[in-house]
Amino acid sequence: MTALPIPSPAATPATAPQPAVAPRIGARAVCEALVREGVTTIFGYPGGTVLPIYDVLREFPLRHILVRHEQGGTHAADGWSRATGGVGVVMATSGPGAINLVTGLATAMMDSVPLVAITGNVPRALLGKDAFQETDIVGIALPVTKYATVVMDPDEVPFAVAEAFEIARSGRPGPVLLDFPKDVLQLDTAVPHPEPHELRLPGLLRPVRGDVPEADELAELIARAERPLILSGHGVQIAEATDLLRQVAERAEIPVAHTLLGIGNMDETHRLSAGYAGMHGWMHVNKAIQQCDLLIGIGCRYDDRITGKTSTFAPNATIVHVDVDRSEIGKNVHTELGIVADAGDLLAALLRRLPQSEPRTAWLDQINEWRKVSEARSWHGSGAWREGRLSADYVIDRIGEATDHEATLVSDVGQNQMWAARYFGFRHPYRHLSSGGLGTMGYSVPAAMGAALGAPERETWAVVGDGGFQMTMQELATLVQDQIPVRIAVLNNHRLGMIRQWQEIIYDENYHSAELIGPDLVRLCEAYGIPAWRATKPSEVDEVIARARATPGPSLIDFHLDEAQNVYPMMLPGKGLSEMVEGGDR
Amino acid sequence: MTLPATARTLVPAGEPDAVARRHVVSALVVDRPGTLNRVSGLLRARSFNIESLTVGTTDEPGRSRMTIAIRGDDGHLRQVLAQLERVIDVLEVHDLTTVPHVELELALVELAAPADAETQHALRGVFDAAGGYPISTDEDAWRVRLTATPDRIDAAIEALRGLGLRRLVRAGAVAMTTGPRPSSETTPSTTQNGATPA
Repeated sequence: MTALPIPSPAATPATAPQPAVAPRIGARAVCEALVREGVTTIFGYPGGTVLPIYDVLREFPLRHILVRHEQGGTHAADGWSRATGGVGVVMATSGPGAINLVTGLATAMMDSVPLVAITGNVPRALLGKDAFQETDIVGIALPVTKYATVVMDPDEVPFAVAEAFEIARSGRPGPVLLDFPKDVLQLDTAVPHPEPHELRLPGLLRPVRGDVPEADELAELIARAERPLILSGHGVQIAEATDLLRQVAERAEIPVAHTLLGIGNMDETHRLSAGYAGMHGWMHVNKAIQQCDLLIGIGCRYDDRITGKTSTFAPNATIVHVDVDRSEIGKNVHTELGIVADAGDLLAALLRRLPQSEPRTAWLDQINEWRKVSEARSWHGSGAWREGRLSADYVIDRIGEATDHEATLVSDVGQNQMWAARYFGFRHPYRHLSSGGLGTMGYSVPAAMGAALGAPERETWAVVGDGGFQMTMQELATLVQDQIPVRIAVLNNHRLGMIRQWQEIIYDENYHSAELIGPDLVRLCEAYGIPAWRATKPSEVDEVIARARATPGPSLIDFHLDEAQNVYPMMLPGKGLSEMVEGGDR
Repeated sequence: MTLPATARTLVPAGEPDAVARRHVVSALVVDRPGTLNRVSGLLRARSFNIESLTVGTTDEPGRSRMTIAIRGDDGHLRQVLAQLERVIDVLEVHDLTTVPHVELELALVELAAPADAETQHALRGVFDAAGGYPISTDEDAWRVRLTATPDRIDAAIEALRGLGLRRLVRAGAVAMTTGPRPSSETTPSTTQNGATPA
C-alpha cells in the first residue's frame, strides 16, 4: 500500500486546538480517512453529488467496484464485512442512489454487520429546496442504521469518518450512514485526522471488557444441570470466540446448537455439535431445546424463527441469555439469568471457572438417538436423489463435499437458505453468509461478490433460488467486469419455493403468484460471457460442480429441481417448537 | 428504576403479568439536530406509548434533557431504557419514578371571564390547587398559567371545563430528582465511552 502524506498528530487532548495540516478538499479528506481505517475496497455507483470523491479516487490505494445497482453495493459491502470481519464500505449519490442503499442497510442492521455508507447530497444552499436528486436520506436511514448523520462542515469530515467507523464496529456492530452535501466535499479543510482517543463519542455504548463476575452464577447453574444446552448465535463469531465456545463445550460436556447466523460456531462433525435449531432446524435440536433443563443463549436474539410461540419455548429449562446488547435480554423470552457481556469474555470467564465435567452420556445419547430419527426422515436421509430426482439437499451436499466444506457459501432467502443451512455441513466460522434477520431476497449474488473479494483465499459459492436470483441478477455484469470468482448455484424450481410451500401447507394449495417465469439462465450467462451449465439429474451434479470449480472467473449452474420439494420439518407460524410439521417428506 | 452503571448486570426478568403504570424517564442527550427525531422515532418504532415528551437545554453546554412520560409495566420500561441507551446521542437514561423526584407541568388556559361571584370563587379554588397565576384579564377573558403535577393539572382542567374553559395549551411534564443523586448520575457511567473524563 502506498504511503500517504498523512500527518500523524501527536497525542493532543481533544480540547486543545488542532494542529492544522495542509488544506485539502473534503473529498480527499474522506479518502484519506478511509485509507487510515484500513479500507481497501469500496463498492459504489457514481452520481452528480459524489463526483468530487470519484474525481480524486485514483490518488488513493482504494479499489472501487462499480456495482450495477446501489442495493448490490450494500450487499457486497455486507458480504465483504462478514467474510473478513472488517467494516464494509459502500458509496452512492444523492436521491435515488442513496435510497437504493436502504434495503442493504436494513439487512446489515438486523444482522449486526458493520458498514459505512457514504452518500453525496445536494450542496448545503440547496438542502431543503427539493433540488434535483435531493432526498432526506438521513431521515430515511435513521431506523435502519446504528447511526446516520449529515456532515455539514468540511472541518468535520476527518472526525465524522473516523467516528463512523468506530460506531460501526464497536460493541454490537451495525451500519452507519454519512451524508455529505456536495460543497462539503469540494471545500478545503486543514483539520487533521483524529487519533482514536480524540473521538467525541460520549454516548457510544462500549462493553466492559475483561473478566465477567456473573460467570460464577452461570458456572453454578451448569454444575447443577443434568441436560444443559448452549444455543449459540452470530455474536460468537462477531466476538471471534468460536475456539472458546468449543473449549467450554468440551470442558462442561455441553452440546451446542446454533442459530442460522451461528452456523460455523462449531464444526458440525464435532461430537458436541447438536446442529441447526429453529423453524426449519433439525428436529433433534428442537427436541433438545424443549427437553433441556438449562438453556444458555450466547450471542443470539432468541428471535421468533428460533423460539416460535415463546410461551411454550424451552418449558423445562432455566433460560440464560448472554449478549453484548443489554436491550436483547428479556426482550423476547423470559430470562432467569441475563449477562451483558462480550461472548468471548463470558466464555473465557466460564473456562476459568469450570472444572472438567464427566461425560453427560445419557443426555448426549438421547440427542443422538433423536438425531438418527430426524436425519433419516429428512429429504437427504430419505434419498430421493437415488431415484433420479434432482433435489436441493443433494445439490448442497455435493457442493459441500466437492469443496471439502471449506468454501464460503452465501445463501439467499427462502427454501434455498434452509437447504444450505441444513445440508452443506459447515466446519468453520465466517463461511456461511445469509440475510438472517431481515430475510432479504436478492442478497446472495451481490454479497458473494463482496465475500469473494474480501476472502479470495477461499472459493465462494452463491446459493440462490430462481426468485432471489432475478432480484439482483444485474450484478452478473459486475462479476464479469471485475472477474470476481463467484460460483452461482441457482436452485431453480421455477417457483417461489417457500411461498409455494406455505400456500400448500397453510393456504390450502391456493398457489397464487408462486409460479415464476425466468430467462434461460445458460443463455443469459452466454450473453454476459459467463460460463454456465444446466443440470437436471443427480448424475450430472458432480460434473457441473467440477466444471464451475475449474473456471477461474464467475460461473453459474442452473440446477433444475423437483418442483414440489418442501423444507421439513417446519414450525408453522404461531406454533411452538414441540408442534413441528414433519410432512410427507417426499 | 435506573439501569445500573456497569454494563454487566444481571437483568432480572419482568413479571409477565406485571401492572402497567406511569413512568417518568429522564434522558440526557447530545444537543444536535436529529436527536429528538432519533428518540421519538425509536419510541414509535418499538410501539412505546408516549404520554408526553419535553426537551430543553441544561446547565451543560451542548447537552439537552428530555423528560418522557410513558406507560408500561416494569419489563416494558426496562426495554424503553435499554433501547434509549443504545441511541448514540443519548448519554444517560433514568427512570425517576422509583427515586424521590419532583415532577411539574405548565399549562396555559383561557377562560370566559366569570359572569358571577360564584364562578369567580370556584375558579379561585381551582387555581389554588393547581398553582394558578394570572397572565392577563380583560372584559371577555381570563388567561391563567397553571404549574402543578400532571395529575393536578388534569384535575384542574376537568374542573375548568365546567367553568368556561376556552383554550388550553399543555407543556408536558418535566422532572428532576430531589434526593441524593444516584451514583450513576454523578459519576460517568462505565457503559458510556470507557475513556475517563479530562
